[in-house]
Amino acid sequence: MSDTTAPDWTSREGDAGDRGESAVVSLGARTAQVDAPARSTQAVFELQGLGVLYGGKQAVQDVTVDLHEHEITAFIGPSGCGKSTILRCLNRMNDLVPSARVEGSIRYHGQDLYDSKVDSVEVRKRIGMVFQKPNPFPKSIFDNIAFGPKVLGMKGDMNEIVERALRRAALWDEVKDRLKTNAFGMSGGQQQRLCIARCLAVDPDVILMDEPCSALDPISTGKIEDLMLELKRDYSIVIVTHNMQQAARVSDRTAFFIVDLSAGEGNRIGRLIEYDATDKIFTNPADSRTEDYVTGKVG
Amino acid sequence: MGNGRAYFQKEMQRIEEQALGGLDMVVGLLDEALEALDQCDAELAAIVVADDDRIDGRYLEVHQGVLSLLARQAPVAGDLRVVAALLHVVKHLERIGDQCTNIAKMVPLLGHEPPTDLDIVERIGQMGAQARSQVRQARQSFALRDPDLALDLARQDDTLDRLNREIFRRAIDIGGENADKREWAMSMVLVARALERIGDNAVDVGEQTVFVVTGLFREFGEERAR
Repeated sequence: MSDTTAPDWTSREGDAGDRGESAVVSLGARTAQVDAPARSTQAVFELQGLGVLYGGKQAVQDVTVDLHEHEITAFIGPSGCGKSTILRCLNRMNDLVPSARVEGSIRYHGQDLYDSKVDSVEVRKRIGMVFQKPNPFPKSIFDNIAFGPKVLGMKGDMNEIVERALRRAALWDEVKDRLKTNAFGMSGGQQQRLCIARCLAVDPDVILMDEPCSALDPISTGKIEDLMLELKRDYSIVIVTHNMQQAARVSDRTAFFIVDLSAGEGNRIGRLIEYDATDKIFTNPADSRTEDYVTGKVG
Repeated sequence: MGNGRAYFQKEMQRIEEQALGGLDMVVGLLDEALEALDQCDAELAAIVVADDDRIDGRYLEVHQGVLSLLARQAPVAGDLRVVAALLHVVKHLERIGDQCTNIAKMVPLLGHEPPTDLDIVERIGQMGAQARSQVRQARQSFALRDPDLALDLARQDDTLDRLNREIFRRAIDIGGENADKREWAMSMVLVARALERIGDNAVDVGEQTVFVVTGLFREFGEERAR
């Protein structure tokens, strides 16, 4: 199974359908693990001694962790602990920040993500991202979804591609009669699901979510969470959330980060404190700092 | 009602099925314990004792599931009542399992052909059937969220209490000079006591049904005493 999802960085064309087929294969094999995280599943990402510096200043230090296939991994921790920074490293978004430097290594399906031969556009196709604020293009619902596949030269019936993406994002029934209307006319929750659908349209392997529900009401949040639980059968998901309860509700594993101030107030360094099955983190964490954070005593 | 939080609802349902399945398991265990007693079958009795570990395992599974739901899903209102009630239900079924073990442990002590008393044997048989029926009814009351079925358990439990008292009196009456028979009768008093406790646990499960439905906790026994 990992063979079919192993990245081929050099070709940008012709492989768009691979992911969809492998998802079908993996579906049956993985459903039994929906309720049983923390078993030995394949790692999608292996982070080894990961550090990030902005303008020479250490923002995150020494993060070593494996993120698993077909699971939802949540990053939690107080503001400034580096969880979004790490998330952005996972699809090389930090490349776009000139002063950012990444130390250590990230392996994606066993391949070095930061190898000089790796095409960062291909990376972002396979590893999509959904942001805090829904950011649809000022175009129709249809064009929002079709944009990525068109740019990437994906073959196939565009109507089918759009419908499939919207169905997977549990949005089809709500918008099928107004595909040509402007996406800005949708509610916030619908816009966010549109952004998820846009991400799915290019057949990614991983979906990164940076606070995807913080701008949404509880009902829309519930819909996105249910959607995430559906999507993990076919994709691997990593979510950064300020909402601890959200991490508790949806994730299989949780990584807890803190801000280390021991180097002085001007040197805030994010560190990984504990990474375990979400059940464990929220019922019996190993580290007292995790316990203090999840019980609301600090943070 | 929409299908919001589908995963949570599914998970809660799964844990409830686990707990109710545990009640089915203890009904099976009770059947085996009663058969071992009836047939003086020490081997079957040993199996009952060993099988109680499965009940204990089920208790731990449900307990962990409930803790996980509480920690991760923050259930409220009716959902919270179900989750809290499941914690009680699983405790009661674990105790019923222990009582089955207590009955089974009597079997090897009785010997092959113990001197018996028909009065007591008959009443033990009645108590066994009654206790079994109450556990099944308790399960049904919870599964159907039926407070009437639950309240009826309290009425039925009077039968078990009466038979238990009768066996106790009979055991005293037949004491006499025969030491073996005295010993057998004492063992039957303990068996009757175990069956009576199983009935109480079934009633307690019924109380949880009423709590889930009404949000009020009522001890059935106290109400009847008034």
